[in-house]
Amino acid sequence: MSPKKILLIDDDPDLRLALRLPLQAAGYAISEAPSVVEARTAIKEVKPDLIVLDVMMDTTTAGFQLALEIHSADPRSEFKDFHQVPIIMLTAIHSTTPLRFSPDQDYLPVQTFLEKPVDPEVLLGKVKELLGE
Amino acid sequence: MQAFDPLGGQVRATVNPGQGSRSLVEAELVSSVAWLIRLRWLAGLGVLLATWSTGALFGLGAPRLPLYAIGTGILLYNLTFYLIEQRLTRTSAKAEAFRKLSVWQAILDWVAMALLIHFSGGIESPAIFFFIFHIIIVSIFFSARTAAAFAILAAILLSAIALLEYSGLMPHRAIISYLETPLYRNSLYVASVLFFFTSTGLISAYLAASIQERLRQREEEVIHLSESLRRATIRLQTLNDGARVINSTLDLPQVLEGLVKSTAEAMGVRACSIRLLDPEGKKLEPVAVFGLSQAYLDKGPVDGITNPLARRVLSGEVVNIPFAPNSPLLQYPEEARQEGIRSVLSAPLMGKSGPMGILRAYAVEPDRFTAEDEAFLVAIASQGSIAIENAIAYKAIEELDQAKGQFVRMVTHELRSPVSVVHSLLRTLTSGYVGETSDQQMDILQRARRRVEFLQSLIDDLLDLAAGKNEFKRVEPFEPVALAEVVERVVRRYEVLSKEKGLSLEWHQQAPAYEAKVMASQDGLDRIFNNLISNAVKYTRAGGRITVSLSYLAGEAKIEVIDTGIGIPKDAQEHLFEEFYRAPNARALEREGTGLGLTIVRDLVVRFGGSIQVESSLGAGSHFTVKLPLITPS
Repeated sequence: MSPKKILLIDDDPDLRLALRLPLQAAGYAISEAPSVVEARTAIKEVKPDLIVLDVMMDTTTAGFQLALEIHSADPRSEFKDFHQVPIIMLTAIHSTTPLRFSPDQDYLPVQTFLEKPVDPEVLLGKVKELLGE
Repeated sequence: MQAFDPLGGQVRATVNPGQGSRSLVEAELVSSVAWLIRLRWLAGLGVLLATWSTGALFGLGAPRLPLYAIGTGILLYNLTFYLIEQRLTRTSAKAEAFRKLSVWQAILDWVAMALLIHFSGGIESPAIFFFIFHIIIVSIFFSARTAAAFAILAAILLSAIALLEYSGLMPHRAIISYLETPLYRNSLYVASVLFFFTSTGLISAYLAASIQERLRQREEEVIHLSESLRRATIRLQTLNDGARVINSTLDLPQVLEGLVKSTAEAMGVRACSIRLLDPEGKKLEPVAVFGLSQAYLDKGPVDGITNPLARRVLSGEVVNIPFAPNSPLLQYPEEARQEGIRSVLSAPLMGKSGPMGILRAYAVEPDRFTAEDEAFLVAIASQGSIAIENAIAYKAIEELDQAKGQFVRMVTHELRSPVSVVHSLLRTLTSGYVGETSDQQMDILQRARRRVEFLQSLIDDLLDLAAGKNEFKRVEPFEPVALAEVVERVVRRYEVLSKEKGLSLEWHQQAPAYEAKVMASQDGLDRIFNNLISNAVKYTRAGGRITVSLSYLAGEAKIEVIDTGIGIPKDAQEHLFEEFYRAPNARALEREGTGLGLTIVRDLVVRFGGSIQVESSLGAGSHFTVKLPLITPS
C-alpha cells in the first residue's frame, strides 16, 4: 500500500520543515506549497489525503478562505473532488486575540486546529485520527 | 377708569393654582369683594334694625318707611352682587371683572349712604360718620387717587344734601324734631360739619391708602425675595445635580453634555453651549449644545482670533449681550434673530495653561441676564473647566494606554511567529524524528528548548495583557458561567502535580442556595484560577498544603487560594500585581517567570467586576481572595 499523501500549505519554510520531519519519519508522503496560489495547483496534482493549512498567509484569513473553497459543497467548485479531504488548520493566533476560531463551531470548514508551536506528537496524533489509522 | 389702578407695579406670582396666574394684589381684590358682600348683609340688616329700634324705643320722628326701603334696597343690591360674585368665582373670571364689580359696589354704597343721610336728618344725621369707614374701605381697595375721588364724591353728596335742604329745595327729614332751631338751617353748623367731614374723609382716604400702599410694597418685597430665594434654591439644586453628573464621569462628551444641560436648567434659559478651541487655538468648535437648532449650529465657523466677542471672552472677560440681534459683537446676529435668541451671556473656560473655550447661555428674552447671572455663569465655567481638563487628560491617558497596548500586541505578534517556529523545529529534534543525538547534544537542545518555551510563554502573557487592555470585551463576550465547575476543574488539573511534589491539595465548596453563576468568560475564569493555583503549587515546598475554597456572601462569590508556601515579603506585596514584577524570593526559587501572571489575573478579575486581595507573611504562606459578583436569580 502506497503511503498516504499530505500537503503542507504554509508560507514559512522553517515551519514546513518542522511539520515535514515528524510526518516523514512516520512514513507519510509529504508535498509542500508555499502560497495559496501554488496550493491551488498542488491540490489537483498531488490529490492529497490530508491537508495541513496555515490560517494566516498573504492575509490574515487567506488560509481560512482556501479551506472554505476546498470544502465547498458546490458541484461547480474547482475543488469538487477534494471536498472530503480533511484539513488541519494551523493557528498562530493566540487564544485571546480577535481572530479566534474553534472547531466546535459548525460552519467552520476544517476538521481540527493545531496551535503553533507545533508539538510533533500532537501533530501525528491528529493526522492519524483524521486518516482513520 | 384709568384712575383705578389697584394693581400698579405689582410683582406677579402664582398665589392659587386653581385661579390661574393672579398677582397677589389681584387675589386680594377678589377675596375682598366677597368680604365686602358679607359685611353689607350686616349693614342692610343694621339699617333695618336701627330704623325699627329708634322708632320703637325712642319714638324719633323721622318717617321710617324710606329708611326701611333703603335697608331693603341695600340687601337687594347686595344679593345681586353676591350672585354675580358667585358666578365670577365659578368661571374663574379675570381680576378685571372683580375690580369692576367692586367699583359698582362702591358707587351703589355711596348712593345708599346719600339716601340714608338724607332720610335720617341730612346734615344732622348721625349716619354721616358711616361715610368715613366707607372711605377707608375704598382706600383699601383702590389706589390713593381713587380713594380721594370717592372721598370728594362723598363730600359733594353731603354738601348737595345740606345745601338743598338748607335752601328748602329739598324737604328736610328731621329725626331730632324737638331741637328748637333746626341745625340744618344753621349755616355755621352746616359749614363746619361739611368742612370737618370733607377734611376727615380726605385725611382718612390718604392715611388708609398710604398704609395700604406701604403694606403692598412690603408684600411685594416679600414676594420678590421669596421668588429670588426659590430661584436660587433651584439653581443650587440643579447645579448640584449637574456637578454630581459631571464629577461622576471622566468621559469628556458626558462631562460636556452634563455641563450645558445643567447650566441651561439652573439659569432657566432656552439654551447653553460649549465651544472649545481647536488644538491650534484658532477655531472654536461647538462640542456640546443644549436647546439650539442644528441650523443655528451650522451657521458657520467661529474664529477665536478675529471674532470680537470670542476674543474678549477668551481674554477672561464675561460678556453680556442684552440685545443680541443688534449687537456688533455677534458674528452671526441675523442667525441669532432667526433662532429667537435675544440675549447672550458668555463666560470663559480657563484651563491651567490658558483659555480653553467658551460657555454660553442663550435666552429668548431681551436683556435677560443680571449681574447675578454673570457671577453664576462664571462660577459654573470655572468648575466646568476643571472637569473638562480632567476629562481631556483622562482621555489622553486612555489613548496612550490603548496605543501602548496596540504596540505591544503588534510587536509580540511579530515575535511569536519566529519563536514558535524555532520551538517547533527544536521539538522535532528533541522528539527524535531526525535521528539519534548524543546525550550532550540532547542536553543542549533541551536547554535551548526550555529557554524558547519561556520566551513563548512571555510572549503569550504579553499578548493577553495587551489584548485585555482594549479588545478583550469584543473577543470574548461574557456569559453566565457556573463558577464552581470552573474552579473544580482547575483544582483537578493540579492534583497529579501536587501529589508528585508531595503537597496536599484540598478543595472545599459551600453548597450554594442556587446555581451560582458569574458574568464572565470561561477562558478568563480558567486563567484566573489556573494562575493562582499553579503559583501556589510552584511556591510551596514538599509537605506543604494548598487549600482552595469557594463560599458565598451576599451577592458575591468568594474564592480563596491558601498555601503554606514561601510567602511574599511585605514590601513586595504592594508591587505584586504590577506588570513584570516578581518577588525576590519567588525569583530565587523559580528562575523563570514572566511577572505577568498576577497582572493578568487582576485585569481579568476587575473586568468581571470583582476584586482580588492578598495577605501573606514571609515563610508562612499566602492567602489570595477573589470576590466576583453573582448573577442574582430573577
